[in-house]
Amino acid sequence: MAPSQDPLYAGLGQAVRMATDLLAALIVGGGLGWACDTYLLDSTPWGMIGGLVLGLVAGMRNAYRSAQRWPKT
Amino acid sequence: MEESPLHQFELENWVPISLGGLDVSINKAVVFMWIVIAVAAVLMVMAGSARKLVPGKMQSLAEMMVDFIRSMILDTMGKEGMRFFPLIATLFLFILFSNLIGLIPGSYTVTSQIIVTAVFSFVVYGISLVLGFMLHGVKFLGILVPPGTPGWLVPLMIPIEIISQVARPVSLAVRLFANMTAGHVMLAVLFSLTIGGGLLIGWLPFAFTVAIYGLEFGIAFIQAYIFSILTCVYLGDAFHLHGHEEHAH
Repeated sequence: MAPSQDPLYAGLGQAVRMATDLLAALIVGGGLGWACDTYLLDSTPWGMIGGLVLGLVAGMRNAYRSAQRWPKT
Repeated sequence: MEESPLHQFELENWVPISLGGLDVSINKAVVFMWIVIAVAAVLMVMAGSARKLVPGKMQSLAEMMVDFIRSMILDTMGKEGMRFFPLIATLFLFILFSNLIGLIPGSYTVTSQIIVTAVFSFVVYGISLVLGFMLHGVKFLGILVPPGTPGWLVPLMIPIEIISQVARPVSLAVRLFANMTAGHVMLAVLFSLTIGGGLLIGWLPFAFTVAIYGLEFGIAFIQAYIFSILTCVYLGDAFHLHGHEEHAH
């Protein structure tokens, strides 16, 4: 009941985690920017561009954070 | 017979029910959710009913599982996190059993529906927000400004941190859903190649099918583990503001 001890699977889990960390922040940033553009301000496409940039930064930050929690082996 | 590899995820209403305009029909996913709950509950109750000092096979497996979840909570949240043990154990067991039951040919993987995983992750994230505001009040908003941020960076950090906070439940949901869906699509494609290839070349994709099936078995455990450990991490962040990051530097 401890598959995470297997180095192959532990590494696989970490890799999958970081990849989705990057992707999800990009989706959220772009989505928030797009929503700002369409519903709040009439600023197409700048809100989405800014949102994507911020999302990229936030994704890297999240990935960096989960890398900091990397179990020391 | 050519069938889309995505066909396995399609749901049709078996028992159409409409409650005040809401579609609450019973379909394959609902039935399999019941099956997952029943299997998990029956197995755990059976394992727990023996209560021997020297545990049998079932009991020791269940004890290992409980111990595993317990140490996961203690590592990430500390002692005060133990009151979330029921939540995390339930999530872990439900996801684990639905991933494993989904691997039986002909059955259905509940976690391959993004709505299921999204509800789990947003509930977890909602709990962590409520907990954070209950414990720390307005100071909880301090998670938006990481410690050691220079003053002139604060207006830039707040939107970035808001996005990275919102991205947490999204990534939690997308990760589980995408892994399960991708794995099952891969199995479907490889196996349809086996059928199409016949005896001459079909053994090659069949060998891959078997290999990927083994990998999916591991992924079923890993995804359940990742989902529950990230639940612990997010709830732990609500307990200790910036706790982890200060230690990390």
